[in-house]
Amino acid sequence: MNKYITASLLLLGCIAYIFLSNDTGSARVFVNLITFAGVYGLAAIGINVHFGWTGLLNFGHAAFMGIGAYTTVLLIPHSLGREGVIISTGLPLPIAIIFGLIASALLGLLLGLPTLRLRGDYLAIVTIAAAEIFRLLVRDFENLTGGVYGIIQFSDSLQVYRPNFVDVISTKYDVSSAQLWVAILTWISIVLVIIILSRLQKSPWGRALRAVREDEDAVRALGKNAVWLKLQSFMLGAAIGGLSGIFLVFNYGTVQASTFVPVLTFYIWAALILGGVGSLGGPALGAIIFWVIIAGTDSISRLLFESPDGQQLAGVRFVIVGLLIMLFMIFRPSGILGKKEELLLDVK
Amino acid sequence: MSNNILSVNSLTKSFGGLEAVNVENFQINSNEITSLIGPNGAGKTTFFDLITRFQDADSGSIFFKNKNVSKTNSYMLARLGMVRTFQLTRVFDRMTVYENMQFAGSSIKNEGFLNSLFNKTSLRKDEGNLIEKIDDTLKMLNLYEMRNAYARELSGGQKKLLELGRSLMKDPEILLLDEPLAGVNPKLADNILEIITNLNAKGINILMVEHNINAVMKISDRVVVMAEGKIISDGKPDFVRSDKKVIEAYLGSSDE
Ligand SMILES: Nc1ncnc2c1ncn2[C@@H]1O[C@H](COP(=O)(O)OP(=O)(O)OP(=O)(O)O)[C@@H](O)[C@H]1O
Ligand SMILES: [Mg+2]
Repeated sequence: MNKYITASLLLLGCIAYIFLSNDTGSARVFVNLITFAGVYGLAAIGINVHFGWTGLLNFGHAAFMGIGAYTTVLLIPHSLGREGVIISTGLPLPIAIIFGLIASALLGLLLGLPTLRLRGDYLAIVTIAAAEIFRLLVRDFENLTGGVYGIIQFSDSLQVYRPNFVDVISTKYDVSSAQLWVAILTWISIVLVIIILSRLQKSPWGRALRAVREDEDAVRALGKNAVWLKLQSFMLGAAIGGLSGIFLVFNYGTVQASTFVPVLTFYIWAALILGGVGSLGGPALGAIIFWVIIAGTDSISRLLFESPDGQQLAGVRFVIVGLLIMLFMIFRPSGILGKKEELLLDVK
Repeated sequence: MSNNILSVNSLTKSFGGLEAVNVENFQINSNEITSLIGPNGAGKTTFFDLITRFQDADSGSIFFKNKNVSKTNSYMLARLGMVRTFQLTRVFDRMTVYENMQFAGSSIKNEGFLNSLFNKTSLRKDEGNLIEKIDDTLKMLNLYEMRNAYARELSGGQKKLLELGRSLMKDPEILLLDEPLAGVNPKLADNILEIITNLNAKGINILMVEHNINAVMKISDRVVVMAEGKIISDGKPDFVRSDKKVIEAYLGSSDE
């Protein structure tokens, strides 16, 4: 069966599932799901640039998402969690977002410079460590970041741009207008990012990244600077991660040290693998399916436990997502939209 | 100015206690086919790696076109005109034959992020201009029919050809070939030899490592013999063939 038909059927099935399994408030569930799917999808697109295009193993995506989000939020009006220190001045949001993306890209540069000259596994290790260090720094520098209490009251900067039609729709379907607005912006961003990436993928630059993915030494022998190409790819993917982190915190309306934890990176990888490494639309599709599965596992939890607490929910999620990744690796290692011929199992 | 394109002085490289390369003095004269032969483990590939800067030498200096390149990056050296192939063929497996060639041929400028993003017309023109050169090269190498195949679908010998073709897209001044005939059937080997000879006739300097002695003796202007990291003989094929030291270390008496 054609993979695009498979993908469309899966998507339709997912949407049907949501509306059938939640007779009350299904629109609400749908918007919630589509927002998270968008955020994770965008993040997975970033990892796809790293891994799918260039063969770089990034296991610390949460850090790139986090630094983009914190930078943006700290530059706009916000208030710090515990003492409720209100900072009422700040940059206009679009400019703050640009700084956020630059911060993510710079973190990519910082991590990439020393490691991208070395073998691929070093990058994997360094990114894992960096994400953990980032989380600890955020937790401990409470004066700046709000630590575990986090930052709140920054959403207005985004919501002031909310057009009227969003409110009209949200009243009609009884969904959160703020979340709907985040969802719309996230998916617009995904479309824009995919358009840009599809240009790049076909370009000499994209081709050069693929060559790096295949064989760095041969790239060098042909007079191309493999390290610089890897750095650029790393920074671009990091910035895309940063953008998704920004949407994530606007979706929550708050951000704290526990927002960007290692499991976030794991889930994003799961979405990428489901959707298909290397394909343009795969990551976003994978993220939708991932979130439907999460919704599904939560209903399974409700069957297993009377009223499952957060830990029980998370446990069942882990088991089922893990199983699913295993099944995909065995039966469809290229994911739903990936090309079999470009299957990636080896690493730079 | 001397007429050598490549010149090496006191180049050494050790791995632990093993001295893999210790070359006092070595020059490549312009427009020759030079072959580097020697037993397995003699240090030929390591010597290639040092010259092309894929490995750092422990000591010594390398001059390319009278420019000291002892500390130059490998990719910069390739841009200057020194292009190599690898003993274990390195093609871009999950790219097509055509894309392999395109990547080799495309300019650094066009591979810039912004140029690629905005897809300037000049870029499209440059890429278009490559087509003819790629087609010609692929035809010369008998790979034209395979141009849309993934490189990993090629046979071992075809991969060797693709690697050679890719190098040619760089318009090298000197081409370093590490065992271009290894694992290639006799007919294809003859083809490759002919191609190498033709390239040399067009003015490309050739330095190749090769175990196929008949081929080496047939096409080389000069043969250099390495053993245990050192050059033990250097001269015209006939001279080297009858050099006692070489017979002892490498050729054996099978020649008689
Ligand atoms: N990275 C390395 N680490 C340790 N020893 C090495 C390394 N690379 C090469 N050597 C050693 O250096 C010596 C020279 O190896 P090299 O590959 O240059 O030989 P060669 O002449 O190309 O042989 P062949 O004809 O088999 O390709 C060998 O003894 C090899 O074991
Ligand atoms: Mg060798």
